[in-house]
Amino acid sequence: MPKSKKEIIAIDSISKIYHLGNNVVKALDDVSISIYENDFISIMGPSGSGKSTLMNIIGCLDVPTKGVYKFNNELISDMNDSQLANIRNEKIGFVFQTFNLLPKLTSLQNVEVPLIYSSLGRKERLQRSEEALSIVGLSDRMTHKPNELSGGQRQRVAIARALANKPSIILADEPTGNLDSKSGVEILNFFDELHKAGNTLIIVTHEESVAKRAKRRVELFDGKIVIDE
Amino acid sequence: MNSLFKNILIGLAAVRANLTRVILTSLGLTIGIFTVSIVTAGVSSIDKEFDKSMEYYGNDKIYVGTWPWSFDFDWWQYRNRPKISEDSLEYITKYSTYISDVSIKKNTWTRGSFGNKASWLQLNGVYPGYDEMLSGTKIVNGRFFSQNEWDLQRRVVIVGGTVRDGFFDGEDPIGKKIRLNNVTFEVIGELKKQGMGMVPGGTLDNLVIMPSSTFSRILTRWGFDELVLKTKPEDMSKAKEEVGMIMRLARKLKPDQDDNFSVNSADAYQDQFDAIKIAIAGMGFLVTGISLVVSAIGIMNVMFVSVRERTREIGLRKAMGATSNNILIQFLSEAVAISIIGGSTGIILVKLITMALSAFSPLPIDFDILLIFYTFMICVFIGVSAGMVPARTAANLNPIDALRHE
Repeated sequence: MPKSKKEIIAIDSISKIYHLGNNVVKALDDVSISIYENDFISIMGPSGSGKSTLMNIIGCLDVPTKGVYKFNNELISDMNDSQLANIRNEKIGFVFQTFNLLPKLTSLQNVEVPLIYSSLGRKERLQRSEEALSIVGLSDRMTHKPNELSGGQRQRVAIARALANKPSIILADEPTGNLDSKSGVEILNFFDELHKAGNTLIIVTHEESVAKRAKRRVELFDGKIVIDE
Repeated sequence: MNSLFKNILIGLAAVRANLTRVILTSLGLTIGIFTVSIVTAGVSSIDKEFDKSMEYYGNDKIYVGTWPWSFDFDWWQYRNRPKISEDSLEYITKYSTYISDVSIKKNTWTRGSFGNKASWLQLNGVYPGYDEMLSGTKIVNGRFFSQNEWDLQRRVVIVGGTVRDGFFDGEDPIGKKIRLNNVTFEVIGELKKQGMGMVPGGTLDNLVIMPSSTFSRILTRWGFDELVLKTKPEDMSKAKEEVGMIMRLARKLKPDQDDNFSVNSADAYQDQFDAIKIAIAGMGFLVTGISLVVSAIGIMNVMFVSVRERTREIGLRKAMGATSNNILIQFLSEAVAISIIGGSTGIILVKLITMALSAFSPLPIDFDILLIFYTFMICVFIGVSAGMVPARTAANLNPIDALRHE
C-alpha cells in the first residue's frame, strides 16, 4: 500500500461484543484496518464471520464496544446519534443488496433523499441529483419510479443516490446479490469506473468474481481479519 | 427551520399516499369537532333566547304571587296560601321606598276566536300605565288602554304577535273585534313579537292584555293574580326584602308565622337556567371529549401501522443521514395532518349544516375565525399527543435492524 495516500479510515483494535442471554458473542475481535483514499476493497468471509458488523461500524450505523475508530481523523467511537447521522450523510454512500429505493418516489426524488438531510438548498439538491443520475447513465429515467426500472437500473439509481452527496467512501453490501449475472457485471464495471474516477470503494461480498475486481482483499473469520492483501 | 419544513413535507407526502386510510381515521375527529361546534353554538343560541325571555320579565320587576318561581317547590305548602289581593298594593305604594310603579296582573287562559279561527290565549288583566312597565314587549301598533277605559271597564284588548298572525293573517288588527270567553272585545293595540320563550309560559306572544277591571267583571273563572312592581335593577335585592316586609304587614302576619306569599324576580330563573346550560354544555363536552379521545386512539393506531409499514424506509433514511429528530418530525407531521384533515372536515360540515338550518330557522350560530383557530389548536394538540408515541418508536429504531425488516 503506498503510504503517500491519505488515510480516510483508521480502525485500531476494535471489538464488538453482543450479549445474547448468558452467551457472549464476539462479532468482531480486536480488528485493526486502515483504509486510504481511492482504495477499492472487498470484504469477504462466511456468514457469521463479522463482515456485516465491520461494515456497519465503518458505515457509522453502529459503534464498537471497544477500540478506536477515526474517520478523517475525527473520533467516531463515542459520537452520539445525530453526530453519526451527520457523518453518514456527508461522508458515506451506501449501496444495498436490495437497492432500498422508496417505491413511491421517482429516480430523481430517490437520489435526492440523502441531500434532504443535508443543508443544501432546493435548487442545488436538484442539480446534484441530476448530476448523479447522469454519472450512472440514467438521465433519461429521472421521472421513472423504481417499478418501471430493471434491476440493474434500480441499482444504478441506488449508486447515484450514494454518489449524490459526494461522499468520502462508498460502502456496497452485496451490490450484485439480487441481480442477474449480466446486470451484475454491468454494475461491477461501473464500480471500476468509479474507482478510476478517484472514489474510495468498499464492497462486502461472498462472490469470488466480485472480490477479484477489488484491488485489495480483506477476509474475515470468527471476527478476526485473516487476510488483508 | 429549513430542515423542519423538509421533514414536514415528507410527512405530508405520506398522508397523500394513503388518503383513504387518512380520511377514515380522521372521521372520529370530524365528529368530535362537529359536536363541540354544535354544542357551543347551541348553548350560545339558547343563551340569546333566554336573554330575550329575561327581557320580557325585566331585570327591574318584582312579581309577588302565591307560588315561588322555582322548579323544585313543594307545591302542597303553597296551594293553600291566600290569594294575592289588590289591597296589598296600597300598602306597597304607601310604605315602599324602592318601588316606583305598581300594577295587578290577573292571569287566566281562555278560548279566543275571530271569525272561524279559534285558539287558547293567555289573558292578562292589568292597570292602565302597565305599558310603561313592559320591558321587552313594547306596543308597536295602536295604543294601550287609558285610565278612562279602565274606569269604564271597556272591552278593549292589546294582542301579542301570534294572535295577530293567527287571527288576522298579518292584516292590521286595530279596530277588529275578537271574542274572548264569548264576549266581544275591540283590538286597540299590538305588542312586539317576542319569539319562543325559554321560561314558563311558553311563547310570550300568545297573549292578550286588557284592563283588570274588565277582566274581573267578565272573566271570573280560574286563574291567579300577581303584583307587578317596578324598581331600579340596582335596588333589586333591597326592594325584594322591603316588599317582603310590607307584604307581611299587609297580611298582618305575626313574627312567628312564615311568609304566605312569594317575592319573585327574573334572576331566580337565571340560576336555574345556568344549571341547565351547564348540564347541556357538560353533556356536549363529555360526548366531544370521548370522541376526541377515541379519534386520538385511532390516529395513534394508524400511525403505528404507518411506522411498521415503513420500517425499512426509516432505516434507509437513517442510513442516508436522517437524525432521530428528523424522523420524529416526519411522523408527527403525518399525525397532525391527519387530525387537521379531520378537524377541517368537521368545520366544513358545521358550516354546511348551519347554512342549511338558517334557511329554516334563525338559529344564531357564532361561526367565526376564532372557532377555526380553536379547532386548529385542538387538532394540533391531538395530532401531537396521538402521534408522539408512534413517532418516537420510529425515531428510536436502530437503522441496522430497520433495514433488515421485511
